[in-house]
Amino acid sequence: MFLENLKLAFNSMFTNKMRTFLSLLGIVIGVGSVVTIMNLGESVKRSITDSMNIGGVDEVSVMPTGSNTVFSEEFAYTFKDNVLGIESVSTYVNTTATLRNGQETKNAQVYGVTSNYFDSSSVDILYGEFFTRENNLQRDQVVVLGYDLAQDLFPGGDAVGSYVSIFRNQAKQYRVVGVLDDTSGSVSGNTNNYAYIPFNTFDQRLKSVRAVSQYIIKVKEGYNATDVATEIKSYLSTVASSSDYYVSSAQELVNMTESVTGYLTTFLAAIAAISLLVGGIGIMNIMLVTVVERTREIGIRKALGATPKTIRSQFLVEATVLSLFGGLIGIIFGVIVSYVVSSAVGWTLYFSVIAIILSLAFSSAVGIFFGWYPAAKAAALDPIEALSYE
Amino acid sequence: MIEKPVIQLIDVRRYYLVGEYLVKALDGVSLSIPRGSFTAIMGPSGSGKSTMMNLIGCLDTPTSGYITIGGEMTNGMNEAELAYLRNEKIGFVFQQFNLLGKINALENVMTPMTYAGIPHKERRERAEEMLEKVGLKDRMKHLPSELSGGQKQRVAIARALVNDPDILLADEPTGALDSKTGSEVMGLFQELHEEGRTIVFVTHDRKLGAQCPSQVMIKDGRIVEGDVFGES
Repeated sequence: MFLENLKLAFNSMFTNKMRTFLSLLGIVIGVGSVVTIMNLGESVKRSITDSMNIGGVDEVSVMPTGSNTVFSEEFAYTFKDNVLGIESVSTYVNTTATLRNGQETKNAQVYGVTSNYFDSSSVDILYGEFFTRENNLQRDQVVVLGYDLAQDLFPGGDAVGSYVSIFRNQAKQYRVVGVLDDTSGSVSGNTNNYAYIPFNTFDQRLKSVRAVSQYIIKVKEGYNATDVATEIKSYLSTVASSSDYYVSSAQELVNMTESVTGYLTTFLAAIAAISLLVGGIGIMNIMLVTVVERTREIGIRKALGATPKTIRSQFLVEATVLSLFGGLIGIIFGVIVSYVVSSAVGWTLYFSVIAIILSLAFSSAVGIFFGWYPAAKAAALDPIEALSYE
Repeated sequence: MIEKPVIQLIDVRRYYLVGEYLVKALDGVSLSIPRGSFTAIMGPSGSGKSTMMNLIGCLDTPTSGYITIGGEMTNGMNEAELAYLRNEKIGFVFQQFNLLGKINALENVMTPMTYAGIPHKERRERAEEMLEKVGLKDRMKHLPSELSGGQKQRVAIARALVNDPDILLADEPTGALDSKTGSEVMGLFQELHEEGRTIVFVTHDRKLGAQCPSQVMIKDGRIVEGDVFGES
């Protein structure tokens, strides 16, 4: 009986293709938007967490916020002695300065960094190499340029080995040792307009350092970044007042971002689900029309021995098949749209399996719910009146 | 032992309220139709014969009185029980054929067996057998719209017989056919009668009614003796 009902449902669905398509449009758009939103939400979430994983969920950052002079470069070495689970500590200071090569001039952020600064960074070197620990100790005038900065100052592309002037009060010549890879579009930060020089060089030759801008603490494998962050906070409370520093771990940020994108996706999907409801009304409408159109058929079936229950299940199956079919088209539509959008924006597309399962479940529920009334109406028809319906 | 009649109506009344008027479509009808008979129910339009057909066909229930079909009392049955009774004991043949238009002849004949819960293979075999019997072996896969009137009515007869009902209930079955095909279909009914089928034949055509071995005349909701047509 169920198979017969399925066959009848497909039969009636394909007899009037245009009408079927139009009445399914609501479901198609509803399911399509839910799937698109959930797919894109998943993709955004993953691309954020992925880039943070490269940038280091195993990192804890300490930012001096006051003018407490305890936060010097040397202070970096005290973390390891006081807190367990620290792999390495790098630090930096930064300021704005003007860079020049011949006629080309650029304002840029100049960072003074220890040589291990790049160990935990997600940025790769494109040409040349990073400066070394010796460069730092000897206060060498060497610089690593960001991608755009190198392009702008050396349009000929011959940056590595050349000299660039960095102005702050007075100009000094720095030898370019490396150029960083293009990081535009990276979630962890765009370094294209930054210049990096050794920390000690910065302190001696550019601007003397009272307090560093940030300590970047790399957590040892097997230790939890959030736990280490807590330990670091309790250590810092012994050397400075809590208003003098701010401790954050990338892990916390990842957790927060995940929950925020999660909430946002759910919220948007819930709004899209309202259109599913509208789609359901479309199904109900077309089923009511179908029942009226097929009054005579219902009369004949009743005369042949169909019980009210049989008639009701026939029309319920039809409504459910109709709305499931709409759901399937919607999923295909949603997958295509999310593919197009994600490739246009440059995200890696992740499919939300939950969205697809939910959409199928939801559209069959919509079919049963909105098909119930028309089906009950068909089942309640009087056989004699139905048989004489023209 | 005398066999119980296959259809028995005892003082059956069927009243309708149309607006403020009470229409007495059937007003105290008693009737027994024995198994194996071929009975014409005749009467002019508005006489109550359609109401009587609907009651015998279990499509309707009486206002008062008792009806037994194949030995089963229909009083107090709910819609589902009446549906089972129609499926099992009654085979309908209508003037307008009433085939299901979107499915082919074979599937039409299979439909009553679907409702009886018969497995697919058996449904198919029995439907093929029945269509062969009414002479439509080579038209089984045709849609109703691809069949002539006479062929449609043969499909309808095959469909009515396929559940082996107690009663074949025909409502003006030749009314939409030309006289040649009409008499062919009538011939088919005669054959079925000779095979022992109980046939109730509802018509307003006195010549057709006269071809049936027994007749019941209805006028103004009552059974009358003699020729009801002569008076009107």
